[in-house]
Amino acid sequence: MSPSENVPGNSSSALRGTRAVPDGDPAVPGARVPAGTPSNRSGRPELVRPEQGRLLGGVATGLAAHLGTGTLAVRAVLVALAVLGGSGIVLYLWLWALVPDGATGTAWAGEMGRRPGVRPVDSSEEAGKAGSAGKAGSTGNAGVGRGVPGASRSRDILLGLLLLLMGLVFLGLRAGWGDLPGLFPLLVVGCGAIIAFSQLDEVERSRLTTRTGTGTRSAVLRVAAGAALVVIGAVLLAVQGSGVVQAARILVAVLAVLAGLGLVLTPWGVRMWRSLDAERAALARQTARADIAAHLHDSVLQTLALIQKQSGDPTAVARLARAQERELREYLYGPPDLPQATLAKEVRSAAAQIEDLHGVAVDVVVVGDRDLDERGAALVAALREAMLNAVRHAGAPVQVYAECGPDRVEAFVRDRGPGFDLDAVPPDRLGVRRSIIGRMQRYGGTACVRTAPGEGTEVRLELPGARTVEPRESAGRGNGTDSSDRPDSSDRPDSSDRPDTGDRTPSSGSEDG
Amino acid sequence: MTVRIVLVDDHGMFRSGVRAELAADPTIEVVGQAGDVDSAVAAVAEHRPDVVLLDVHLPGGLTRPGGREVLQRCAECLTAQPPVRFLALSVSDASEDVIAVIRAGARGYVTKTISGPDLARAIHRVHQGDAVFSPRLAGFVLDAFGAGTGEVAAVDDELDRLSSREREVMRLIARGYAYKEVAKELFISVKTVETHVSAVLRKLQLSNRYELTRWAADRRLL
Repeated sequence: MSPSENVPGNSSSALRGTRAVPDGDPAVPGARVPAGTPSNRSGRPELVRPEQGRLLGGVATGLAAHLGTGTLAVRAVLVALAVLGGSGIVLYLWLWALVPDGATGTAWAGEMGRRPGVRPVDSSEEAGKAGSAGKAGSTGNAGVGRGVPGASRSRDILLGLLLLLMGLVFLGLRAGWGDLPGLFPLLVVGCGAIIAFSQLDEVERSRLTTRTGTGTRSAVLRVAAGAALVVIGAVLLAVQGSGVVQAARILVAVLAVLAGLGLVLTPWGVRMWRSLDAERAALARQTARADIAAHLHDSVLQTLALIQKQSGDPTAVARLARAQERELREYLYGPPDLPQATLAKEVRSAAAQIEDLHGVAVDVVVVGDRDLDERGAALVAALREAMLNAVRHAGAPVQVYAECGPDRVEAFVRDRGPGFDLDAVPPDRLGVRRSIIGRMQRYGGTACVRTAPGEGTEVRLELPGARTVEPRESAGRGNGTDSSDRPDSSDRPDSSDRPDTGDRTPSSGSEDG
Repeated sequence: MTVRIVLVDDHGMFRSGVRAELAADPTIEVVGQAGDVDSAVAAVAEHRPDVVLLDVHLPGGLTRPGGREVLQRCAECLTAQPPVRFLALSVSDASEDVIAVIRAGARGYVTKTISGPDLARAIHRVHQGDAVFSPRLAGFVLDAFGAGTGEVAAVDDELDRLSSREREVMRLIARGYAYKEVAKELFISVKTVETHVSAVLRKLQLSNRYELTRWAADRRLL
């Protein structure tokens, strides 16, 4: 959408037929240059009805682009042909029916991403595009400038005008001036056709984008109304000048024929519809498959290749495998990405980092979740320290459990290492005291370490839930270490006697020597 | 008395790995193997093993997860005398799938990263009719019953909530404690721990809280 991408010189290219957008940037008119489109075999744009710059069905615009002449000239010729015997109208309708819509024909892939599907969004989006194109679009070429902002709206207005004209002619006929015997029914037929055709475009487009099949109901309704108008017009044409009874007879005959046709064609139509549906489903499956394949290629296959290269190093292989397993699991079963950081997410990613760094498996179980605030971040930082100690000194298995309750957050890190005698730790080892215990206390929480030789180690962190608690500059309230069996009997082992700066750098953390 | 087991997993390599690990335990005999839903049902019917090691995700069958379908189609084995007991084994993290298999009748859930001796212990435990909860399953259970948010049953046999003792046991298991350690921690016997765990399993299988709360979606934020 950046204006710098809108090269003024390219604005006229928006007029050209194709809407294929190979580089997938829908917002830039310049991107519509049919650079690599499949249409360029003969050096001229494919004959399609472009979305932009159309007044009715886009036939004239497309034709002009195809022939390399001005849109105005084509329109003039068409109008002239229409006035001189009406062949212009027939030609226009014929082309409208047969020339593919530029929106759906070639620019399939771009279309899917670009169109939210419903019409109001569509036109506003188009207006947005015109806005972003800025002056390049509106002044550069009359066709674009006029057509883009409200191509569909102007078409509606035109339709309204046509209907108004028809009404006038009808009034005129009633008033008795001029005898234009065939004109009225023809007008009805024409209007019906226009409504039906323009709506067919809509239906086709919305079908491709919404994938719900039928598009909007109103579009279908309008197609039906258009068809009805055509039929009425045709009947009027046929019954001209005959009596009421004969007219009714003809009407009945027409309806009978229509009903018969419907009877014959409906099963065929339904079958077509179904096969189309199946095709669409297959395409969706294919897309999903391609997505998965792309993901596997970027992740699993790369890791497998790495593992083959490093097959001599079991630690590296285990680390790679573990990291890949976690990543894949996250992809397959992970909760949808939440926009904001949460405590559970932070705990998991901290554990994942440590796993990757040290090649030791860290199993994480998190119950509940909450938004990550400053204190939560402090808890995660302390938890990270505790995990680091566990993988450094004990090795697998390391079990992390975090529970976010309404009134407190608790976290545990347990390892099955040799354990140690807390009293024997020299006072200058600051890993546990500053990074874990001191940090927790500054944020109003507690931390305690349970360990005994041969029993492994468990670090317990707790933050009370009241979020209004201010971080405290307090430390040194501890009164000795605790290595008893009860976790809650004495929660405050030695804490640091100096205020910690709350750094996240891994500390020495080798208290168990 | 040896425990006869059938191994159900769609990866041949994983099956042979488990076989090799279990070979270290002479009291466990692998009598059959299967790689998909249909062959699993057939193998269970043919061998009538004591324990089935059942992968949660299996190819074949009509419903997902495949492990649940195996259990549903073997429903009469679960209550027969002697019963066939199932232990779910998976790498899957999808709590819905794991809980679905437990609710269909499996007596426990362990992850595939479990060590050989631990797996052997779990098999024996399941064979004796006890439940096997890994830390991960304990976490799922705490989440499912809203125990993380402090909901506790007023009476022990309330189906939709855990009693405070059960919650305590689940929390310790989630923290990585073995049953023995849980018992020591809470000053109760291992048998009592097993009773609590079995009670939780029963609640998990009978409660309709799981359907009511759709916790998997709702549990994200308090």
